[in-house]
Formats: sequence, C-alpha cells, structure tokens
Amino acid sequence: MYSNSQFEPNSAFSGGGFMSSQPSQAYETSSSTAKNRDFQGLVPVTVKQITESAQSGGEKSGIVINGVELTNVSLVGLVCDKDVSKVTEVRFSLDDGTGTIDCKRWVNESFDAREMESVRDGTYVRLNGHLKTFQGKKQLLVFSVRPIMDFNEVTFHYIECIHFYSQNSDSQFGQQVGDVTQSHTVSSQGVSNTNQATTLNPVMSSQNNDGNGRKNLDDMILDYLKQPVCAAREQGVHLDDIAQQLKVPKNKIEDVIRSLEADGQIYSTIDEYHFKHVEL
Amino acid sequence: MDTSSPSVFVNGALLRRFVGQKVRTVIQVMGSDMGSVVGKSTDDLQIFVRGSPPPSLTTYLEVIGIADSENSIRAEVWTNFGDSFDALNYNELCKLANGEFKHLFI
Repeated sequence: MYSNSQFEPNSAFSGGGFMSSQPSQAYETSSSTAKNRDFQGLVPVTVKQITESAQSGGEKSGIVINGVELTNVSLVGLVCDKDVSKVTEVRFSLDDGTGTIDCKRWVNESFDAREMESVRDGTYVRLNGHLKTFQGKKQLLVFSVRPIMDFNEVTFHYIECIHFYSQNSDSQFGQQVGDVTQSHTVSSQGVSNTNQATTLNPVMSSQNNDGNGRKNLDDMILDYLKQPVCAAREQGVHLDDIAQQLKVPKNKIEDVIRSLEADGQIYSTIDEYHFKHVEL
Repeated sequence: MDTSSPSVFVNGALLRRFVGQKVRTVIQVMGSDMGSVVGKSTDDLQIFVRGSPPPSLTTYLEVIGIADSENSIRAEVWTNFGDSFDALNYNELCKLANGEFKHLFI
C-alpha cells in the first residue's frame, strides 16, 4: 500500500516544519488534528467526494465526507494552471477526472521549492494536503506533491477511495459477506447488472484478505458467541459448530478465531477448539 | 472546485455509453502515426485515438478526451503510463467506477 507505508499519518503530520513557520495555519491545524488524531490519518478521496462533503460546523470545523470528519486527504490527479507568480506560494489546480480543486503549497524551505519545480502542468501527482474552507471555497493546503512514477498508483488510489468509502458506509457492510451467493441472483437480472456483479467479486474477495471482509466475519463470530444460548454454555462453543452455524468454511473461521483470540475478544475453554467471548 | 466536466473511467465496452462525453481510458499501444494511435483497451477491444500524440509512446498510454464514437476518442491529454501497467486492475476499476461506486466519480 503506497500511501500507508509512506505516510504514517500521525507521525508524519503532527508537527511538520511547515506548520511552525506559519502561525495562523498551525493553530487551526493542530486544534483540529488533535480532535481526530486517534481517528483518521490521511484519507484517500476523490474531488467529487470533497465537493459533496459537508461542513460540520463553522469555517474552522472539519469537513465531513461519508460521515467521517477529515482534515488530511490524499489525492491523485493531473496538475494544471500552475501559478508561480508569488514568491512564498505555488498555486495550482488538481484534476482527478472527477473534478478539479484549488491547491496551494507554501514555499518556505528550499525543499518545498525543489519539490514544486518537478511538478508541471500535465504532471500526474500524488498529493497530500490539509482540507480547508477559505472564504466559502474548499481548497487544499498541500504539504506533499510527488510526481507519479509507477502508474499503477493511479489505479490503486481510486480503488483505495472505494475501499475507504466501503469501510465507512454501513449500508455496504452486509453485502460483502453474502456476496458470493448473491452474485447469481444479480446476474440474472440483465446486462447492466451483470457488469456490477462480476466486478464486485474480485475486489470483494481481495478485501477479504486485507481485513475488510474479515472484520465482518469477526462480528459474525462475536455475535454468535454472544447469543445467550452460547454464552450460557460453560465449556464454550466448538469451532466446528461455529463454522456450521455461520455456514463458513472451517479453515476461514480458524484464522479469524486466532486473531480474535489474540485480540483478547474471545478465549479458548476446555481445549483449543472451544471458545467463549470475553464479557466486558 | 469544479465537477462540471468529469472524465469518466472507461474500458472498451463502456466507451459506447459515453459518446459525445469526456472520458479517460488506458490502452495498450498497437501502432501510431502523426495524428492517431491504435490501441487495445483493457478489455481487449480495439480503440482509435485521434489528436496529436507525444513523440515517444510507452506500451501503455492514458488518453483523456471526448468519445467520438463507440470505438474512437478525440484525445486532449496524453500520458505515458509506462511498460508495466496492470491492465486487469484498471479494467476492474472502470467497472466499479461505472457501477456500484459511480457516485464517487461522476
């Protein structure tokens, strides 16, 4: 994952050099990130999502996308209308295909200037910035602009936007588990739906590997174990029973069980195959 | 902020839905001359791209422009996407961006 590995959100943005050199920005940034620090780091979004986002309060409050209050966002797109007429800042627009947004990069250090030199109109960049409303217009105060070298990052970015959106929208949750069985019914409904069904599956199954699908299975197992019938059993519930009840292959369950056990959410009882959930 | 003219992610099959509109796609370059490029879309269909391509082209090429017909694009922006681009991933993205998650894009 490009952005995750390269930008550990909290450490990267909690006190960069650029903040201290602009007092007014620094104040706002730190107050809003402090609120969200535990919550979200750098969130991948499209310009369209930003356009449709709402302001949670006044001008100084965070911007809410998909129910999540955001401060720092990551975008990929083409740079256009680069304006270097001012000494202390570079302005440009970013076009990500869903829309364009105004961006501003303060140029304080020679590093900033060097980074902005490599960025020209028509360059594809990965951009990280602070989302802000100024005089009623949303804009990005950019703190990193990097030309894209491997263009798979472009595909990746949009997939990541979809992934983040799916993770944070409740309506999507139920769909992902029963996905495989649903695809048959969907595909019989016509051509346009067939497209959807076939596209869904590969992505969903890949999500199962990297955490999202598993989260659902986590919840399913926990919910099952929390049922009074199961909670009442002193020896806990056998792995096979869980697999049978949830209609999920045993090998799939096993991995999730181990991680739940490691998280301290469930524990093994009479042997290593019987489990109970930890009552809080 | 302006979302009035988005360019839709398309593959060969989706292109016909957007004739007359702004689209973006990635093709595998098959051949080119002064005013056009012929390529293979990520779902293996032939696409003709008109306009003025950059002097040197890599294997994969992204074009942004107006869909002229169901298999041709009049390109305004050309970007070389290198020689090791994953066309299958891009193809899946095109389908998602026009399907369940369309509202994040257009």
